[in-house]
Amino acid sequence: MSRFGKALASSVGKKIVMGLSGLMLLGFLVEHLHGNLKLIEDPSGAAFDDYVGFLKSFGPLLVLAEIGLGLLFSAHVYLAFRLTLENIQARKQRYVVRNNRGASTVGSVSMFYTGAIILGYLLKHLIDFRLDPRFFDAPHAAVQAKLSQPGHAAVYLLAAIVLGIHLSHGFRSAFQSLGLSHPRWNPLLERLGKFVAFLFAVGFAAFPMYYLFIRER
Amino acid sequence: MSAPSHDAGSGRMRITLKIWRQEGPNRPGKVETHFLPDVSPHMSFLEMLDVLNERLIASGLDTVAFDHDCREGICGACSLVIDGRAHGPEALTTACQLHMRHYSDGDTIHVEPFRANAFPVLKDLMVDRSAFDRIISAGGFVSSPTGSAPDGNAILVPKPDADRAMDAAACIGCGACAAACPNASAMLFVAAKVAHLALLPQGQPERERRALAMVHAMDEEGFGSCTNHFECMAACPKGISVESIARMNRDFALSFLKEAPDLPTGSSVG
Amino acid sequence: MSPTPPQLDSKCPSGPISERWDKHRFELKLINPANRRKFHVLVVGTGLAGASAAASLADLGYRVSVFCIQDSPRRAHSIAAQGGINAAKNYPNDGDSVQRLFYDTVKGGDFRARESNVYRLAQISNQIIDQCVALGVPFAREYGGGLANRSFGGAQVSRTFYARGQTGQQLLLGAYSAMMRQVGSGRIALYARREMLDVVVIDGVARGIVCRNLVTGAYERSAGDAVLLCTGGYGNVFYLSTNAKACNVTAVWRAHKRGAYFANPCFTQIHPTCIPVSGSYQSKLTLMSESLRNDARVWVPKQKGEPRPPHNIPDEDRDYFLERRYPSFGNLVPRDVASRAAKERCDAGFGVGTTGLAVYMDFRDAIRRDGEGAIRQKYGNLFQMYAKITADDPYHVPMRIYPAVHYTMGGLWVDYNLESTVPGLFVLGEANFSDHGANRLGASALMQGLADGFFIVPYTIGGHLAGRKLPAVSPTDKAFEDSERSVRERIDRILSIGGKRTVDSFHRELGKIMWDHCGMARTGSGLAFAKQGIQALRSEFWENSRVPTSSAGLNQNLEHAGRVADFLEFAELMIDDASQRSESCGGHFREESQTDEGEAKRDDERFSYVAAWQHEGVGKESTLHREPLAFEYVRPSQRSYK
Repeated sequence: MSRFGKALASSVGKKIVMGLSGLMLLGFLVEHLHGNLKLIEDPSGAAFDDYVGFLKSFGPLLVLAEIGLGLLFSAHVYLAFRLTLENIQARKQRYVVRNNRGASTVGSVSMFYTGAIILGYLLKHLIDFRLDPRFFDAPHAAVQAKLSQPGHAAVYLLAAIVLGIHLSHGFRSAFQSLGLSHPRWNPLLERLGKFVAFLFAVGFAAFPMYYLFIRER
Repeated sequence: MSAPSHDAGSGRMRITLKIWRQEGPNRPGKVETHFLPDVSPHMSFLEMLDVLNERLIASGLDTVAFDHDCREGICGACSLVIDGRAHGPEALTTACQLHMRHYSDGDTIHVEPFRANAFPVLKDLMVDRSAFDRIISAGGFVSSPTGSAPDGNAILVPKPDADRAMDAAACIGCGACAAACPNASAMLFVAAKVAHLALLPQGQPERERRALAMVHAMDEEGFGSCTNHFECMAACPKGISVESIARMNRDFALSFLKEAPDLPTGSSVG
Repeated sequence: MSPTPPQLDSKCPSGPISERWDKHRFELKLINPANRRKFHVLVVGTGLAGASAAASLADLGYRVSVFCIQDSPRRAHSIAAQGGINAAKNYPNDGDSVQRLFYDTVKGGDFRARESNVYRLAQISNQIIDQCVALGVPFAREYGGGLANRSFGGAQVSRTFYARGQTGQQLLLGAYSAMMRQVGSGRIALYARREMLDVVVIDGVARGIVCRNLVTGAYERSAGDAVLLCTGGYGNVFYLSTNAKACNVTAVWRAHKRGAYFANPCFTQIHPTCIPVSGSYQSKLTLMSESLRNDARVWVPKQKGEPRPPHNIPDEDRDYFLERRYPSFGNLVPRDVASRAAKERCDAGFGVGTTGLAVYMDFRDAIRRDGEGAIRQKYGNLFQMYAKITADDPYHVPMRIYPAVHYTMGGLWVDYNLESTVPGLFVLGEANFSDHGANRLGASALMQGLADGFFIVPYTIGGHLAGRKLPAVSPTDKAFEDSERSVRERIDRILSIGGKRTVDSFHRELGKIMWDHCGMARTGSGLAFAKQGIQALRSEFWENSRVPTSSAGLNQNLEHAGRVADFLEFAELMIDDASQRSESCGGHFREESQTDEGEAKRDDERFSYVAAWQHEGVGKESTLHREPLAFEYVRPSQRSYK
């Protein structure tokens, strides 16, 4: 294996890819949330429809971007599985009694599970909209139709919360893995991570809540 | 902590120990229960195990094997997990510095060895940590053959750098970080050495090479990888910060951008 | 058995003292770099001396095998040294020089060390600092980036380099890392968890060792061209000491039985500031750094059985006995003097604590003067350690301290080349007797260990390897077979005793005998009494000790039993040595030899020699050889700290 490949395949290399892909996916989420906010911004749905239309106008470029996004996501998921498996195998004989010292958090110990839930949700989300040919005919109507159903809305709501938990560890952790750390900024980074997690959880939870409670009235 | 309690001699305690017993490597182990009727609060945890062993000998049984040496918290030989925590309940304390006054009459205490695949159990509470030596031999040094050094003051080191290097260099190599890590990762150990030398001018020539070589050696030993739980820092008896890990990650990432340093070949730790 | 050398030849070079080491190095034979890899050196022990020697020899191109008793070479007991390491750099510009460090060391050792060796040590001290800095040891620094120094142990110049309160740890890790680099390169083969149990001597030359693998219980033979013993001191003969639990006399004792003379075994150092014994379960003692005495005042109550807690005792009812007896040095008198003064008060019935075997070390005045913050800054980690062990808060209640065994100046006799009376067997660090005389100065142990390993033995070993015919030997040779058999028989014998008493109880009893009669104060009658006690205890050990036999492999009790068995033999030699030296000097205080004021009184007329003992068999009287000491550069004088 080349030196670069070997370094990439090492435990630290994998964490660097993990952190980098995570932050890039977060960048995607920023844009995604921004676009989705048009649903609430303009209750008529015209703004959202325009936005989807705008994206669609990119044609093959959009597909290319989506492939890139898919690769990023695949890398993130693949490494998550590998790291988790390796880490479980690194201690075959478990402790009879184990207590943490309170450094690990709900977010840190559940990364794999929250990630897996998000992955499952993502598939549903893609089937609901991106892979449904009717979506592009009337994007806003499609969203409204889905999220007005309590069952679907509940899944979206739950996913938003799980995403928040995932980010509550992931954001800060990515910086650590990339070596972006400084005693002066770390406490701030810690708080920023919690804030970002909260923001995205609330942000994405807003849509099912909106359609379920506000829009219905 | 005000009145002198050192003399207090009173308050003998009854302690039940649930201890991991294992005859040898790759043998099945089990938890064995022992009762000590007369534990002094001033005993160290290891002295309590001494008392247990004296009793075991008297009853013709095999003693509980455990690593220990300096018994003052600096050699790093202790490798006990006490009630699920490496080195026990107190922060910044090795098991040998843990005193029984932190327990109460009637307590039950679970004692296990440090657990990680890279730390195979040799017997009872004793594990093989030679993986750490192999990691150091892969790159945890400055290549300065004896006799080749310039005058000590020819290398000036800013005091804050020297202090931070010392913070990282305080690692005693006990392995509590790996034992406490949910992933059995040795990142804090490796990073402490990488950070110590990366903070000093003497460590610069081999800086990237060191980070690469030590990480690869760590991986080969079968430790898990770091997912930033920071349990290592909480368990470290010397309070070494995960700041070191970030520093090492940075050196590692930057090494991607540099010329290829040649990595060393295998070692011969027997 | 090696033939007995006709006479002790220290091989010290002649000429002006400052040129002796240069001259000697020039005269030593060199080995062609290409030939060095043909030689195989066995290094036993990986403390400062062993690790630095192994690294340096491998740097030169020798093949090296290293053996250590711990699970990792990094855990050798050098790691526990706190205070610092001396060097005559004179960075603070306060008048230090090689000459002054030499003078202080000879005087501090109470004129029982070789001048040539000590001078060389002082010369080398500077190189050690350079080497350690280059290896990345994070010494304390000044704001300008230069190395910081402090005054230590009452020295009048600031020549001590330090890394917080963990200098030994940092130096050891430096030497360890240098050694591990060569392990990585394949020049050093490392064998951990091995206990050396015999030196194999062939044709009068040390050519190998036999070890027990502490994990598997297997006996392992190693052949080589030279053997380096770097196995530390024997303080654990007292059971309670500041030494680590694994510290033992076994390696040097077995070498002694193979013909290496043992020098000055009665020279032991008692450190004045240790945490007192708290109960019968006590397994070891913990040192509180000597640096504390810079700001503390040591006292006992003036009244016996004083009921008041210490902080309620007013100054007029306190006896600041060090300040009273030694007005000019006060609390900073040397270790041996401070220790004896504390013992004197406790013996007189003024000791404090439940056992009455402790004195107060009080920071009240320093805290009043400088504030708690300043004291915390200086000693925070030590105060924390004290509080952890005792549950007392030294910021408000004075510490209680008592002297404890800390270091042993005696060891195997070596010449200027650090070679013992068995050719090819070199002894380094605390394991040899060389440089500290009858008392070691603070911050000098680390210096000596590294001097021996980094800068002395790498040269002097060449004299042996180039100067002697070394025919090929193999671990299958008869000498190895015989050695392994004797080692095996001894262990099998221990396993077969099947008595009633635990090994630990024997060790404790031996320790008590030694502490009571061969500790801080010794008398002729007490020593004679102790000798009988040791002999009786040794007989009982071989009849009535009990070691669990369920494990033929890893058996920590068996390891301990082997070491205690050796201590039981060695202790008698220590007593013999203390008996013959009826003077007081340094750490060796014979009550018969004191001034009217109760201070140690040397007798240079009769005792200005190194006592080197030749083994004649267990239970037989050893033969004493005397190496006379000549003082050409430092005139012996009575130490005075009044």
